[in-house]
Amino acid sequence: MSAPTWKDRLSGEMSPEMTVEIDTFEGQIDLKKQGKLDDKFFAETRLRRGAYGQRYDNGLRSDGETQRTLTFPQALTKGPDTQWDAPGMMRIKIPMGRLSIKQLEVHAELAEEYSDTILHVTTRQDIQLHYIHIEDTPDMMRRLAAVGITTREACGNSVRNVTACEYSGVCSTESFDVTPYADACMKYFLGHPDVQDFGRKFKIAFSGCHENPCGLVTFHDLGAVAKIVDGKRGFKVVVGGGLGAVPVEAKVLAEFCPAEELLPLSQAVARVFARLGEKQSRARARIKFLVDKLGLDEFKRLVQVEREGLRVDERWTENLKDLTRLDEKPIRPGAPLPTEGPAEFLAWAKYNLKPQVQEGYYTAIVKLPLGDFTSRQARRIADLARDYTGDGIRCTVEQNLAMRWLSGADALAFWERLADIGFAEAGAGTITDMTSCPGTDTCKLGISSSRGLTAELKKRLTLVEDKLDTQVRELRIKSSGCFNSCGQHHAADIGFTGVSRAAGGRKVPHFNVVLGGQWAHNAGKYGLVVGAVPSKNIPKTVQVITDHYVANREEGESFQSFIERVGKKDFRGILKPLQVIPSYEEDKSFYSDWGDPREYTIGDIGIGECAGEIVPFVEFGLQAAEQELHGAQDILDTAGGDPAVAAAGAFQSMVTAAKALVRHLDKQCRDDADDVALQFKTHVADPGLFNDPFVGNKFAHFFLGLHASQRFVGANKEIAHKCMDEAQLFLDACHATYQRWLEAANQAAE
Amino acid sequence: MQAQKLQVKFFARDEISEVALVPVFHEWIKQGVVSDELLIDVADYSHVPDGPGVMIIGHQADYAVDRDGARQGLTYSRKRLAEGDFAARVQDTFRRALSSCVRLEGQDGLAARFGTGEVVFRIQDRLLAPNDAATVEAVRPALEATLAKLYPGQQATIESIGEPREPLTLRITVSTDASAAELLARLSA
Repeated sequence: MSAPTWKDRLSGEMSPEMTVEIDTFEGQIDLKKQGKLDDKFFAETRLRRGAYGQRYDNGLRSDGETQRTLTFPQALTKGPDTQWDAPGMMRIKIPMGRLSIKQLEVHAELAEEYSDTILHVTTRQDIQLHYIHIEDTPDMMRRLAAVGITTREACGNSVRNVTACEYSGVCSTESFDVTPYADACMKYFLGHPDVQDFGRKFKIAFSGCHENPCGLVTFHDLGAVAKIVDGKRGFKVVVGGGLGAVPVEAKVLAEFCPAEELLPLSQAVARVFARLGEKQSRARARIKFLVDKLGLDEFKRLVQVEREGLRVDERWTENLKDLTRLDEKPIRPGAPLPTEGPAEFLAWAKYNLKPQVQEGYYTAIVKLPLGDFTSRQARRIADLARDYTGDGIRCTVEQNLAMRWLSGADALAFWERLADIGFAEAGAGTITDMTSCPGTDTCKLGISSSRGLTAELKKRLTLVEDKLDTQVRELRIKSSGCFNSCGQHHAADIGFTGVSRAAGGRKVPHFNVVLGGQWAHNAGKYGLVVGAVPSKNIPKTVQVITDHYVANREEGESFQSFIERVGKKDFRGILKPLQVIPSYEEDKSFYSDWGDPREYTIGDIGIGECAGEIVPFVEFGLQAAEQELHGAQDILDTAGGDPAVAAAGAFQSMVTAAKALVRHLDKQCRDDADDVALQFKTHVADPGLFNDPFVGNKFAHFFLGLHASQRFVGANKEIAHKCMDEAQLFLDACHATYQRWLEAANQAAE
Repeated sequence: MQAQKLQVKFFARDEISEVALVPVFHEWIKQGVVSDELLIDVADYSHVPDGPGVMIIGHQADYAVDRDGARQGLTYSRKRLAEGDFAARVQDTFRRALSSCVRLEGQDGLAARFGTGEVVFRIQDRLLAPNDAATVEAVRPALEATLAKLYPGQQATIESIGEPREPLTLRITVSTDASAAELLARLSA
């Protein structure tokens, strides 16, 4: 008896689209193993499905003395310089951070069976599982798809997870609940052809109000802030924000964009970015560089022109017809919070409970250490949700969980059960609630151990938390392992970013100290870099900075105002003694990083996959067409295979290839065969762009003729064979045409 | 039973310092102490309450001194490429878990000691080993064969623990004072 499979077990529980999507990916894994897919293509295709590389996936690891080769059993690769067997990370998109109880339980199962039992919440409301084997990913995707989750476009050069305030719908300062709009945006752009040809990733965030930071729209490629004008719902739209080595605050694209206009406007932005954004130099490929290069006014003009040329798409408003479709309902009656209870509970309630706009209800923040929790804890949290709050769980950008709709009357019992699983710690949003990217723990780009540092700071600050000055206690600390800024340190009061320095011929892990960033007002201001300090001196640095603030602030002066007033120079002087590196002989500990006793090196840094591989969308289209044709051929070759189905498959492969060429010319084209044929004729065949040097437009007529005659419908074996031959010739001609276009473009560039 | 993802945990008698364990595990990777497994990296989750503690992530298997269930112990988790039939895989999982217990007990400065009278055996595979009575019965012969070698002449009790949502988890208890090294020797004999 053959072993059961998840594919069979979950058949019928996944949407047809997801079923095909995952089967296709599994097929690509098989093709890669047979040597039939090239590295670059496979790398981009797995990234677009959330299967990411991890440190050591180049097969090299430093043991502190020498660089050693990790001899993974299979010699295959899953991308340039990426070993097949190397453990990888699965990034799971959680739109707006919204998780149902069932979805959380499935994550728990996956972490246990395929990962290391740890679920990691990211700063963009995703969940990541680490140390995953690539061949396990299709089954993981199936189990997620069965509960309505996709990993599609979680990585790669496309629209990443759409994020939104965790308080959307329950917040007292929001203009309105952005959840249904963010959801509509996510659904519209998922797999949309206009977001497949970017030179870099594209991040979208929604915020319910301007004042509070939960949405952090100012450092997103595209941000939407809810706004009501004359009683009409809409958004202030900002564009071109980003962190990284060059932090840029997003600029206002539209002071007010009516809600029904948001998707077409965003689509127009995407099309301008796809057409004009940098494709060769990854370092300058985010949209912030394009906005800067063109100037905001010209960028706005181009977006306007693009918008006017868009063909109407009913999906722009389809998901806005019922704005209540995602509403959550409490499962317990609301009631006020108790005013008495254990001191620890009262402290927790003070920091970790936020009153909702709905009277008697609170959102509880479950403070996760470094964003981590185990499968077992995930199930306990699911139980808490089942008993007290319902499905309204949200991952937050501060790497915590927000559990909405907690009745005040249940708060003490809820807290007691949280305590049972180790998560009743108070201080959400304070100095002990730190954020950190993965850093050198698992990231190929990490320079310093941001998680190691954060764990150490948390340990030390938790011990003295109760004695801290009130204003110091409410500061935020965020750390990034490198300049890519995934820890969002620019928006922290005290931020750290990993760098490396040399001393006595050895490398010493350091962190740049960034002060005075503003978390409020959607991360309204970025911090100042005041200098690099050895990692091992960072805890002292925090002490010195906060002591200096407490001793020298003016009455009521906030930390940001203080930093602004005293400036970099003052802090440079203060940090100077801490920047001294003892010799190796004096103190070896400076030459290793937090949580890692090996002598520090950055020799095992890999090539980042964050940017993905630049594979033009047209190449994906042509590849997909080839696969469709192979599938059709298999049907025809199989005894009892229906020739009509094979012939229809052959025709579909022609549609797919033709569509890829049309879209490569930046022409709009729907998915249906009629529109593809019309657009192909208009923009490719008739202008002579498909002309072969020897046979002219002959191959174009294979497609257009088959479309006109519909000969493939009900085809017998003989006709099916002919369709197959014509499709192969047409696909070959599509490849040749694309190559001619590329050569012409290169010559023009030279 | 085709499941590969077998896990065995022996509980620590005394507290093992996680800070001291991190360099020990790095050294294991550096020295390649498990010759037929590829050890890749150390993951430190000591910040997570009752979590996986400090782990060695490997290609074929992971090693952890974890605090799952609020009890510290050494857990060996086979992930793939186990050889032989199910009975052989069960025995191999116990052997590798015991080897690492013995190795940790011999590590200077760690003061690790493991009890052998209570073991947790788990199968992390809900598809091939659903957590139900039928799987327990299917697993029992292979498990009992290994237990007979480990604890000759003694009656080991096998009970299913945990809740239905968890992977199949069996607690084995037996009255014994034997050391991990003695058990390993019995298994290797």
